[in-house]
Amino acid sequence: MIELKDILIQYDQRSVLDIPSLRFEKGKRYGLIGENGSGKTTLLRLLAGTLTPDQGSVVKLTPNGMGYMPQHPYAFSFSVLRNVEMALDKSEVRRKQALAALEKVGMGQFVNARGDKLSGGEAQRMACARIIAKPRQLILLDEPTSSTDIKGMDLVEQTILDYAAQCGCTLIFSTHSPAQALRLAEEVIFLHQGKIVEQGPAEKLLNQPASEQARLFLQHWQL
Amino acid sequence: MKYVFKKFLFVLILGVMILSLAACAKKIENPVIRLSTTTSVNDSGLMAYLQPVFEADTGYTLEVTSAGTGAAIEKGRTGDADALLVHAKASEEEFIGEGYGEERVPFMYNFFVIVGPEADPAGVKGVATAAEAFQKIADAGATFISRGDDSGTHKAELKIWGAMGYDPTGQPWYVSVGDSMGRVLTVADEMVAYTFTDKATYLAHDNALSLLLEETDDMKNTYAMIAIKPERYPDTNYEGAQAFIEWMTSEKALKLIAEYGVEEYGEQLFFVP
Amino acid sequence: MQTLLEAFRLLLGADPELRQIIAVTMQMSLLSTGISALLGIPLGVLIGANDFKAKRLVNRLLHTLMGLPPVVAGLIVFLLLSRSGPLGTFKLLYSVTAMVIAQVVLITPIITGLTANVVSIKAPLIRETAAGIGLSPFRRMLYTIYECRVPFVSNILAGFGRAIAEVGAVQMVGGNVQFKTRIMTTAIMMQTNMGHFEFAIALGIVLLLISFLVNSLVGRIQEKTLSA
Repeated sequence: MIELKDILIQYDQRSVLDIPSLRFEKGKRYGLIGENGSGKTTLLRLLAGTLTPDQGSVVKLTPNGMGYMPQHPYAFSFSVLRNVEMALDKSEVRRKQALAALEKVGMGQFVNARGDKLSGGEAQRMACARIIAKPRQLILLDEPTSSTDIKGMDLVEQTILDYAAQCGCTLIFSTHSPAQALRLAEEVIFLHQGKIVEQGPAEKLLNQPASEQARLFLQHWQL
Repeated sequence: MKYVFKKFLFVLILGVMILSLAACAKKIENPVIRLSTTTSVNDSGLMAYLQPVFEADTGYTLEVTSAGTGAAIEKGRTGDADALLVHAKASEEEFIGEGYGEERVPFMYNFFVIVGPEADPAGVKGVATAAEAFQKIADAGATFISRGDDSGTHKAELKIWGAMGYDPTGQPWYVSVGDSMGRVLTVADEMVAYTFTDKATYLAHDNALSLLLEETDDMKNTYAMIAIKPERYPDTNYEGAQAFIEWMTSEKALKLIAEYGVEEYGEQLFFVP
Repeated sequence: MQTLLEAFRLLLGADPELRQIIAVTMQMSLLSTGISALLGIPLGVLIGANDFKAKRLVNRLLHTLMGLPPVVAGLIVFLLLSRSGPLGTFKLLYSVTAMVIAQVVLITPIITGLTANVVSIKAPLIRETAAGIGLSPFRRMLYTIYECRVPFVSNILAGFGRAIAEVGAVQMVGGNVQFKTRIMTTAIMMQTNMGHFEFAIALGIVLLLISFLVNSLVGRIQEKTLSA
């Protein structure tokens, strides 16, 4: 369980994230939606620990076993296999775990390809493999399929759902696509200009948004 | 009417005559004289001292460039100079023999000196000739800085070693730097070593070296001027070079040269015959 | 034309003094570059990969040092090593050591700055990903250095190119002493001043070849980095 209190992050005197209180429950799947610049990435970075708030506190009662996939995951200039292995602890099963993960995200044939020669979508799937290669208690994914094609997206979404079900982790992800939020999230948080404007069960919020801003944001999306 | 007109005409003609006379006097075909001289002469400050007087007296403009003796003389061969002012008799005669220069006009001389550490570990002070001094330095293995640049000074130094029949090249105490007199004195100062230099540069240079030996016969250094013959390079300022040489050998100039340095250093730096 | 032929003859005949000058030049340049790289690369990585309070100040200082005119560096080292200076007792003036010192002063900021620039481009992305998969700061640093290995090589080569072509500082503190501190650049200057153009041209050709080689290698590495 994660608890945020009185979070304030500013940049150039502008509030980038302003959350008085927010709570994530163990094992649940949360989707963050909102426009560009609404604070989705900032919130994920805060949860991942790569950003410290100007004010406020983040309390994680599941401190270990976190996996975070940034919006632009870095692909190192060695093999895809090694790129995934580096996320795992040194052990005899490391190779097997990495290979299995790559297979699940459909990157089986790229095992020996060089990481930095992959396309955007391939690199994202590889980054995803890093996360699901071992069980974790919390996974944070920043637009995990933004560069992937539809076929790849289906595969990755299914893999994430299987993984979450299998290890019972908390999933917090951001997405541009309300449809994806519906598929993957149990609860949806709508961010607007750094503030949480609406929060609630995915089906309800996405189909019948209560707030004006959420309605505006979702109006182009037809069920 | 006619009277006024005549007077006007007279004044006009007179005016034109006066103007053309004045123009004639000031009119020089090529007012720039390129003088190629050595770094030693430049470092002594003599040319900077004489130049304004020469230019005021003759209306010429003097462009002085300095380099090591070898390169200074080379400018005469490549057409980059109108006149030379150097002090390397053998090289000068070779140059004239090749047909580049008019004739050697020696006009002033001075002496090289040997300077070194105040403590004088090699015991140079008081010997009769430079050759003896060099012998003492070699025997003691005392550090000696050489120009090493084929300059007039360097050639004079080599002549003395030659007279002794001794070649110091490669000896650990013989430091050849291949540079100007000023820089050699800096190195000698830094390394507290002996060196062979012209007196003018030594006095003008800021250092802690002591004057150990001067005015021996084998250290006499004669300066000469050479006008470059215009045949090879048509834009050579032959008239200018001759005007320069004429002025430099005039009584006025020779007097100035003899006076140079007296006020500042208490003694004359260049001697005239 | 005649001079050019003479120059080639000198080169092919391998005049012993010519060879010695080239040897001293290479010794000095390799030593200078090596020391500057050992100092500059770790420093550059530290500066480029990390965010710290004084970073802006450090960057500004670095850029100022990168633009240090060689003659000023030469002057400073000369004054330090001179008989009347603080390090005068070591009698280092007019030695290869003095030249190496002056060059290290000049080249280390350059290598540090270039390294920091390269690292600072990749470091934030690497850090974000590394945090996400639980990499220790030490391992993250090692991976960062590995990822920047190609530009590091080109930076070192650039440093070497500077070392071998430098003339002002090394003339001042080295003294161009025959058989001891005479290197290609100072020898070329001297021979030109003396009017001995064949020797100067021969050395010039060697220097040009080395320079071209080094610079074209740097260019090729940069091309490959850009196209990757």
